[in-house]
This record gives sequence, structure tokens and C-alpha cells, in this order.
Amino acid sequence: MAGEHVLVIGGGGTGAAIIHDLTQRGYHATLVERGELTAGTTGRHHGQLHSGARYAVGDREIARECMDEVRILQRIAPQSLEMNYGLFVATNAEEAAFGDTFIEACNEATIPARDIPVGEAREMEPLLAAGITRAVQVPDGTLDAWRLPLHFFATAKASGAVIKNFTEVVGLHSSGGRVTGARVVEHARQREYDIDADFVINATGAWAGRVCAMVGIDLPVTPAPGSMVAVNKRLNNMVVSRLRPADDGDIIVPQRKQSIIGSTQWKTDDPDSILARHEDIHFLTERAAEMIPAFAEAPFHAAWSAVRPLAGRADGGDGRGLSRDFNCLDHEADDGVAGFMSVVGGKATVLRAMAEKTVDRLGRILGDDIPCGTAETELLPHRAYFNPALS
Amino acid sequence: MPMTNNNDSVTFTVSRPQRQEDRMDSFEVPCDAYTTVLDGLEYIRTRLDATLMYRHSCHHGSCGTCGMVINGEKRLACTTNVRALESETVTIYPLPMFDHVGDLAVDPTGLFKDFPTGADYRRDSEFNRDARVPEEIETFERFENCIECGLCVSACPITIDWMGPAALSAYNRELQKHPERRDELLSRIDVDRGVWPCDRHLRCSAVCPTGVYPAKHIALLKRAAQKRRDGA
Repeated sequence: MAGEHVLVIGGGGTGAAIIHDLTQRGYHATLVERGELTAGTTGRHHGQLHSGARYAVGDREIARECMDEVRILQRIAPQSLEMNYGLFVATNAEEAAFGDTFIEACNEATIPARDIPVGEAREMEPLLAAGITRAVQVPDGTLDAWRLPLHFFATAKASGAVIKNFTEVVGLHSSGGRVTGARVVEHARQREYDIDADFVINATGAWAGRVCAMVGIDLPVTPAPGSMVAVNKRLNNMVVSRLRPADDGDIIVPQRKQSIIGSTQWKTDDPDSILARHEDIHFLTERAAEMIPAFAEAPFHAAWSAVRPLAGRADGGDGRGLSRDFNCLDHEADDGVAGFMSVVGGKATVLRAMAEKTVDRLGRILGDDIPCGTAETELLPHRAYFNPALS
Repeated sequence: MPMTNNNDSVTFTVSRPQRQEDRMDSFEVPCDAYTTVLDGLEYIRTRLDATLMYRHSCHHGSCGTCGMVINGEKRLACTTNVRALESETVTIYPLPMFDHVGDLAVDPTGLFKDFPTGADYRRDSEFNRDARVPEEIETFERFENCIECGLCVSACPITIDWMGPAALSAYNRELQKHPERRDELLSRIDVDRGVWPCDRHLRCSAVCPTGVYPAKHIALLKRAAQKRRDGA
């Protein structure tokens, strides 16, 4: 039947896609975000639109899902994508040998990956390092990490969703083992009030543990920051990645007039105010230069960090052992707290699919059976969020 | 805190007019060679005063949300290095010409009031123009330079209600990419509040963080509008 009021906490990419999906299926939806939309993790993304090739060797299913979602995003939000494809390049014999495994895994995940003669690859990307011995082309791209979520927010808002930025949840209300709403502070007016809800979805990513702790739930999530460095020169048009299993400093993403090298990974208990580590800045620049030597000479533009929300608990190391898959946790089943779900993990490229699974799950809990239509619904332009006349 | 070497303290003084008229709050912020004004604000919000409001998202000059007035200049907080300001104090106000939300945050809605409908946000990439293109695509493409930060609008000395440098730049880019829309686009900007109020103070081009040069676009639009009037 739908019609229930669902409160979404967190205005990142996940929250954006969820509130769009909720309004599409006829729910009344409100979203609150403590700062500006996408200010937590989403906006700081280096912007790689993942074909899934990066994950294909480790996890075919995630890779296949990435490829499906790239195809969908090209239909529903093409204006926030630079669809220039990507090259995985080998800088030594070991990496070149990995190419066979890589291509096979990609193809099994429906990702068209093919060898490009090194000479041709260099015609595509003239600044590639001289020592490149193999190049594989995949359908990677770049996304605008602020504007892509705005397409979802704009569409949700036009369908009646209420979206409140600078509105922070300071407590969750519960009664009889059921979450019934949230206490929020609206920072602009320094006003505190309650938002009642039939269901609450916690989409706060790396901060999800804090929201769960408000009702005594210990959530398995590991905040794992990574640093990125941008130079003020576009050195490549295609996304250039290292042909080897995922590791630090293995991707150069072009964006407008910049090139960005990502990333590193460590674990933290406190996802707030994470800065790029100085040692990462030098390390990443050196790694970038191994693929594109001009990176080291290009003017420094910015160094920053984003906190990934990894689903699960990392016992040791940097958390790279944790999956990039996402979990949708029904806290009634897991913790005996009804009316409350958390979404943790995941990746920007698959934001729409995460929302589909989350709202499917919600439908099963509430006894609604409304199909998802977001894969076929073209989104409004990002500017329509601020000016509906630009729809 | 991951900062390591040579932490000097810098005083950040921020405007908080919605709390009390003329209210300015000061905070001591540790700064090193890499610290940006946005990093400093993040330090204040997450460690000293969780109620501090400012807009931010990408932290690398791509989203355009963190424009503010920093030591008298309209700039992006995320790409403004604190040491490069060569000042022991950093004084920050919200961008003028926009509705104020709270502290350093403004409402960007006004920026988009006069943008063209259906404007294409992508363009052909001019980098490595001679490069071979993958056979699956027609051309390398990239996003427009304009990140819609509003610095040009806030810096323009023309303060009457007119379309302003951001929207007019978008009109000219759309005209350059889609000449088939020429008549429609020019009819929208050839009005009293369109291109004509521009007096070429060039403040818009001076503050633009991404090299859009709005004044150039306005000049081109004026010429095109005049030609259209002359029946050319």
C-alpha cells in the first residue's frame, strides 16, 4: 500500500538514491543531513565511475553489478558522467601476466575488456609512462560526486520528498522496542524538534555506528579513510589504472581540468575531520608518476581524504580485506529494534542499486509489494534541485 | 590528528550573524604547510563547535559549494592554503548577494534562477585533442569548467536584479555548443536584465577559480545579441 512516512538519515549518495526510490514507490519521505548534502564521504570521491573491472578478479558479483549500474546511469543521469573509458596498464612483467586473469574475470562479469596494442594505447594517452608493456581497455568513466546525487535529490524533491540539510539527528525516539522518529537540531534556526516516522533508515555511512548507538545497537562498520591528491592539469582523458589486484595509489581519474590519484586506506574510530596524511601525498604522487610521469611535475591542486564506510569489522591491517559490498541491516531481525534499518558499505557507482535493495527490503518488512522503477526513470538535471523550472 | 610537522596556530574569526548581529567568533586552529581554510573550518566544527555552519563537499575545487569571503577575497575555502594567505588571522564572511542560511553558509538557489533550460553540462575535451579515441565513443568529453560556485555573482559590482555572470556564461556556452538554439537563447538574454547591465568591471573573471572568464562570455553574447538586432 505504501503511504507510510519514512525518515532517511544521511544526505550522501546512498540517502539521495534511497529518498528518490521511496518517493517513486509512493512513500512519504523526509531526509535529514547534519551539514550540506554530500559533505561526509560522497562528495570527496575521486569520481571514478566503476565499470567493475577493478573488482572483477576478487568479486565477480560486485563487478557485474557495477557494469549494470554504469549502463543504467548512462541512461538516467548522463549529464554527470564523463564516459571516456579506462585503461589498465602494466608497468612490469608481473602486471602484464596478470592481464590474462583480469580480462577473463572482466568478461565473466559482462565487462567488455580487451587488449589494446601498447602503441595504440599511447596514441590514446600520450603521457603514459615509457615502460608500459600491456594495456587493457574497459568502460570506466568519471562521475561528478556532487552533481550525480543532486539528480536524485532533485527528482525526489519534485515528487514531494522533504530534504533538510544542516539538520542533525541528536537522538532517536523509541517505544515498545520500535523506533518512532528522531530528535533533530536545525542549525540555522538553532531549533530542536521531533520528526515522527513509521520507519527510519540510517544511511549515514561511516557515521552509521554513532546513529545506531543512540538506540543501543553495536553496528559492525569500519570507517576507513583514504587520501587523494589532485593536480591542476588534465593529463589523461581515460581513467588510467594499474593492471594488478587493488592496491594503494593505483588509479588516476581525470576530472574537468584536473587529474586525481587515489587512494590509500587506513582505519579510524573517528570519521570526523580526517585530513590527507602527509606521507600519503608524497607516496601517491610517486605512484601516479609510475603510470603518468607528468603527474609529478604538474602543479599541486589539493590533497584531501574521504572516509569509506566498510561493512564489517576489520580485525587488523588497513581493512582492505573487507568487502566493498554493502549490507542492508534490518535491526528488528538482528537486534530486536523494529522500524529501523541501516545501510552500510557500498560504492558510489552502485548507489541506485543499493537504494533498490534497501527499499525492496523495507517493502517486505512493511508488507508492501511495489516494484522499483528507478532503473527506467530518467532523473531531473542537477540544477533542478535549486530551480524546478530547469527540469 | 594526522598533521605532523610544524604546527603553527592561526586564529580563525568567523561571522555568525544569524546568532547575533555583528557576532564574530574566534578559534585557534593548528595549521601546517598543507592546511586549507576548509580544513581549518572542519577542525573547528568537529573539535570545538559542532554548530558551525558552512557548505562543503568535494574538498578539491570541483563541486563549487565552499565559496566564502576569506580575508576580504571571494574564494573557495578548499583550495585556499592558510599559509599562503601570509596572515596570522583568517577572517571569514559568507558570500554576499545570496540569501544567508547561517554562519558561513548561503543558499545557492539564487544562482540558478536565470540559467538556461536544457543546458548541456558536458563538452568535448580539448586535452590531448589529437589522441585516438576508443572506438566505442565518438569523442572524449568532460564537464564544463563552471562549477557553479557563485564567486562571480558575489564579486560583481552590478547589484541590480539582473541575470548575472554565472547564468550568462552558461547561456554563451550553450550557444557555442548548440548554435541551433541561437534565436531562442539570444531572445532570453537580449532584455533589460540580460546582458546589457554589464559594465565590464571584470571582477567575475578575476575571482573565477576554474578559468571560465564570465566577462568574455558576456561580451560575446552582447555582440551576438547586437548582430541579431541588426538583422545579421
